[in-house]
Amino acid sequence: MKGKPVPQTTSSATDSLRAGNRVVAFGIAAIVLILLAAAVFLFVNLPDANAFNAKVTQIFVDNDLRSNAELRLLEILAQSGTSFSEVLQSYRVVIFVLLIFATALLLAALVFLVTIVALNRRISAIQRSGIQVASLLISREGRAVYINDMEFALTEAALETLSVLAEARMDDEVLTGAQIEAVVSGRNEVDCDEAAGATRIKRLRDTLGNQLVSELLVKTIARRGYMLAVGKDVIRMV
Amino acid sequence: MARILVFILAALVAVPAQAECYVDYKAKQDNPLRLAYGVAQVSDGNCDPGSAANELAPRLAAAGWALLSVMSTFGPEGLGEREASAADHFLRY
Repeated sequence: MKGKPVPQTTSSATDSLRAGNRVVAFGIAAIVLILLAAAVFLFVNLPDANAFNAKVTQIFVDNDLRSNAELRLLEILAQSGTSFSEVLQSYRVVIFVLLIFATALLLAALVFLVTIVALNRRISAIQRSGIQVASLLISREGRAVYINDMEFALTEAALETLSVLAEARMDDEVLTGAQIEAVVSGRNEVDCDEAAGATRIKRLRDTLGNQLVSELLVKTIARRGYMLAVGKDVIRMV
Repeated sequence: MARILVFILAALVAVPAQAECYVDYKAKQDNPLRLAYGVAQVSDGNCDPGSAANELAPRLAAAGWALLSVMSTFGPEGLGEREASAADHFLRY
């Protein structure tokens, strides 16, 4: 491949920004063009101020009007029409101002629209790549957990602990160490040691990255137990 | 007596020969619109509305009036009834 470098297939924020700028440029051009055409159309279609004079002249020619009084009356009629032409002038100004407003509003709307689209894209990108957990998929078969589409391999025990926590989270429950141990081992809760559950939590955190995970995922709630710090709706289990 | 007869004869001969031709017309000025009804004399050869208009239009234009239409042509006998209506524009241009 000579010449241009192969374009990157990944879309970054700058790409969308450039695309957005192009859309804005096209949109502004289109809006200005459409409103300009509308303005020209409106101005062209405004009646001529002389139309009234022409009509009066027509009346004068078509009818047998010759006395001085009749002619003065027709002239007065024409003058009232001429005063209407000043109204037309003010109409022109009003139309012009309204079209300017319309252009400004449409431009603002377009810019905001494009900004919103760009922001939405960026937000979803941030959600995917950032620290916030947007999806948590526990795959028992693959013995892995997918956090934001990133795969983390887990040991059997850690997976078990995570599953228990996920189920508890979906029921809005906080589990103590003893409860976790009880569910995982299948024994009665009273027979289980708090420390055993705490060890399971520690191992799970160790497997995933400890401090970061304890803040973002497996949270300790003082004097109550442990809980997944993710939204209920993002948890899925396969 | 003979002299008077000659005069009358001359007058009778002269009148058809000169056959004065008049037209009444409508004209206007623009900005502001002014309308006028007038009477004017045209040369005998142009004693029909079409050619009278051709003759009259440049004369009116020189005075700032635009000829709208020539209504009719008539002889001196028609002047009296039109004088009042034409007023300022009676035989002016």
